[in-house]
Amino acid sequence: MAACTVYSTQSLSTIPTPSKTQLSFHQKQVVFYTTSRRNSKRGNHSGRSYVITCAAGDSQTVVIGLAADSGCGKSTFMRRLTSVFGGAAEPPKGGNPDSNTLISDTTTVICLDDYHSLDRTGRKEKGVTALDPRANDFDLMYDQVKALKDGISVQKPIYNHVTGLLDPPELIKPPKILVIEGLHPMFDSRVRELLDFSIYLDISNEVKFAWKIQRDMAERGHSLESIKASIEARKPDFEAYIDPQKQYADAVIEVLPTQLIPNDNEGKILRVRLIQKEGVKYFSPVYLFDEGSTISWIPCGRKLTCSYPGIKFFYGPETYYGNEVSVVEMDGQFDRLDELIYVESHLSNLSTKFYGEVTQQMLKHADFPGSNNGTGLFQTIIGLKIRDLYEQLIASKAETPVAAKA
Amino acid sequence: MATISGVSLSSPRVLLNAPQHAHAIKFALPLRQGMRPAIVRSGRMLRIRPVRAAPDQISEKVEESIKHAQEACAGDPTSGECVAAWDEVEELSAAASHARDKQKEKDSDPLENYCKDNPDTIECKTFED
Repeated sequence: MAACTVYSTQSLSTIPTPSKTQLSFHQKQVVFYTTSRRNSKRGNHSGRSYVITCAAGDSQTVVIGLAADSGCGKSTFMRRLTSVFGGAAEPPKGGNPDSNTLISDTTTVICLDDYHSLDRTGRKEKGVTALDPRANDFDLMYDQVKALKDGISVQKPIYNHVTGLLDPPELIKPPKILVIEGLHPMFDSRVRELLDFSIYLDISNEVKFAWKIQRDMAERGHSLESIKASIEARKPDFEAYIDPQKQYADAVIEVLPTQLIPNDNEGKILRVRLIQKEGVKYFSPVYLFDEGSTISWIPCGRKLTCSYPGIKFFYGPETYYGNEVSVVEMDGQFDRLDELIYVESHLSNLSTKFYGEVTQQMLKHADFPGSNNGTGLFQTIIGLKIRDLYEQLIASKAETPVAAKA
Repeated sequence: MATISGVSLSSPRVLLNAPQHAHAIKFALPLRQGMRPAIVRSGRMLRIRPVRAAPDQISEKVEESIKHAQEACAGDPTSGECVAAWDEVEELSAAASHARDKQKEKDSDPLENYCKDNPDTIECKTFED
């Protein structure tokens, strides 16, 4: 009945420890504790099947999944997210300079490209894209994310985006918050079950094209044709393997062209929708004015003057892939600081620690793409919601041992 | 000669935390923007060795990959070979963009970078008078 995987203390304590802050959290002796809440998020903790897990330290790692296609703003989102958690996220010190990992005091971000089973040459030979599940090792992904969640360090491979080869692995220690970002964090059902919260960045075709033009046009060899050809060629695999993951996401950030300017296809002004799943444990959606009602709001008027084309908000309940969701939508962009503060003060349930925290975060990273529109606003808000979720999860875990004794 | 002078063990945290490890590509030579060709004297010959900044090396790969994709798709634009080739273009274009961002960060003032993330530390506070 009691199943326990024993990991020797020896191997845990011999892990090289370059980062002091991280150590303090997991250095404590191996603790054996009983818990019945391992799947608490998915709500199937009925019955009395107590499972004994062995974790290093007194805390389990909270795992967040972020899915999006290449070139859709995952890196920017990661920088905003880690900034909300506090401290700067940096590549592992003294490691492979092409490592895709970012580490801060609380958070480790790993890139799922590291679980490619086929390198660039292998994919070329077999004629498959990186989007294809056959190019990825989901067994290893599951094993390693599970180990980290249980407090066990892993030797994770490194996919080198420059050479297209798999480099020697790097040691990843269990952080407080583990973010897995990439093309397939919600593809494999086993990996999906490990996620405490999941996000999908859904960039519409028009915006994706505009963003890639911005990114690549200056690049030698690229042209409008090559950018278009690349998007078109990848589309079937994207639609088959990446896009369907959004149905599983707890939050989706949808980025669309503006509706404020008729027939705008410049992709500069954006309409961004934050789709928040209802009934997710430790996540209570952000709302505008009155929770659960439907509201259309134009903040620009007598109290607040906005420049062309203005700002428009929408809030309301909807159904998304059969799930009840709450949607907050922003069309337009902030041109001045007072617009942002005005908007922040009218949004509720932001999980901020002080008045103006959203504005402060947006200003801090004013140079990041999207800091003046809904992408930056909603990415920041999701960061705050994840911080809140983490704190609630940790608080609930602190109570668990007491409950187990009783 | 071997004496290390001027290195303080209590160097401020700015130096330790500054993103000096944010280097983009490992085969990058520690040369910046200028990219003057290094002159190497080998025997009687004066050889000019071209030196590139890191993002340039990826740029070259991007360019090659586009050419290759166009060739691979000349026959059948829906073939696995064609699709994989354009996927490689996307992967390299994204890598080039990341390398440019890293280079930009590297070229900017390390103290400024540090203070962006740690505005409340003593090194980063500004005082009037």
